[in-house]
Amino acid sequence: MIRRLLQPDAELLDDPSPGRITRIAGLTALALAAYGFTTGFWRSPQMGVYVALKMPLLVACTLGCNGMLNGLLGLLLGGLGFRQSLLALLSAFAVSALILGSLSPVTLMLALDAPPPDSEYAASAHSGYLLFHVLLIAVAGIAGTLSLHRILRERCASTSVASITMLAWLAGNGILGMQFSWILRPFFGTPRLTVQFLREDPMNGSFLEAVWHALNRFTGGNIHIALFALVPVAFLVAVPILRTLFPRSQPATP
Amino acid sequence: MNTDIPQPPPFIPTPPSAEPALPEKLDTRALFEALLRSPRALVQRLADPGHGALGRFLAIAVGSMLVFGLVLGSFAMNEQLWAAPLKITAGLLIAGLICFPSLYIFSCLAGSRAGAGQLAATLAGMLALAGVLLLGFAPAVWIFTQATRSYSFMGLLALIPWFVALLFGFRFLKSAVSAGGATSNGPVLLWAGIFLVVTLQMSTSLRPIIGTSERFLTDEKKFFLQHWIDSADKTLPLSTEPTTANP
Repeated sequence: MIRRLLQPDAELLDDPSPGRITRIAGLTALALAAYGFTTGFWRSPQMGVYVALKMPLLVACTLGCNGMLNGLLGLLLGGLGFRQSLLALLSAFAVSALILGSLSPVTLMLALDAPPPDSEYAASAHSGYLLFHVLLIAVAGIAGTLSLHRILRERCASTSVASITMLAWLAGNGILGMQFSWILRPFFGTPRLTVQFLREDPMNGSFLEAVWHALNRFTGGNIHIALFALVPVAFLVAVPILRTLFPRSQPATP
Repeated sequence: MNTDIPQPPPFIPTPPSAEPALPEKLDTRALFEALLRSPRALVQRLADPGHGALGRFLAIAVGSMLVFGLVLGSFAMNEQLWAAPLKITAGLLIAGLICFPSLYIFSCLAGSRAGAGQLAATLAGMLALAGVLLLGFAPAVWIFTQATRSYSFMGLLALIPWFVALLFGFRFLKSAVSAGGATSNGPVLLWAGIFLVVTLQMSTSLRPIIGTSERFLTDEKKFFLQHWIDSADKTLPLSTEPTTANP
């Protein structure tokens, strides 16, 4: 099943049965739990357990809340059924989860080797740790997106229809997912704050603001360096997506 | 106008030299030679079941790393003569082990059909090739270990061969993944970057490898870049007494 998810073909959406959806959801949850544990482990083992629960919860909340919207968009734009839309999105999340899960031994080593939360380097270690994980999640997210596009390309009437359907899903799930990740914080555990399953004011603030502040702190308060750092990161994120959505036209064969 | 001007003979490019064929049975010596002379043929052979190369590749990698570690340990002498080979070998094996799950996933993402067993043998082959190349660098590195006391210079001397060795190792890995049907290089390149960072961090986690310390391992946690910055201006003490410095 792992190889089939990572190398999707036209038959992937042929069987959107509850059993199949459950199996993929279970695999995704396991992989995300493994990665989540290593993410929170730096702060404390208890935090690791919390994040192992919250990572799958984040995907479940995002897909659950947007389920109706995703299904409608899939039907109206791509001509996919509700369960096929769910299976396509879940498969894309599974690809991201498998990438992150496979990297969990590496991230566990990072958590074990990083200066601990009570050390003098705690603030910079936390910022670097946060940025590293955001980068990993971005890479996994891109791979998931590309996988989703490949699945849609096999099913939709044309590449542009597939791209539009995917962009519509990405916009909805991306915005909601980011906010859910903020609501379900902490994932990394700020050193000076206590370990909690949820913060006391979970709805206050946003994910993007937190990344911006971390970047600003990491660069010693120099906002210009933070901006320059963001440009190549945004470029790296945008290039593979744009190349997939707008492939170069093949020369016509005589 | 005379049109019978003799034309120069057409340019026929010389075909690239073919790799020597692999022997029927791959013993350690044959694998050692195949890594250097016939990497493509070796990659094809690794796809066959029952090649038995994994253990032999690991033996080559471990043997090479022990020798290279001994050379690095000769910089500080004393307990580092056994500690450095042990740490370098253990560090490399741990790095390979923790990066193997992601190698499988990333090779699948690249489109490769290689199975887990074939990839394990390929990874071991990559480490063996890197180890053999480090063996080649060892005499030159040893000369410098006897000539300098600077940690930063010695660290650089250890890193340059490692980067070169890994470069060839990654090329071998890329060939193997491509032979398995991979259609893109991006995922394998990304994995290569991750593996490189893991090995660099491992060298910091298992410190001291080049310098000396009263303890076998330090419990101070640092990222490798921070450690490099902190150790940049330190030198090996003149006396043979152990110190608290731990690059």
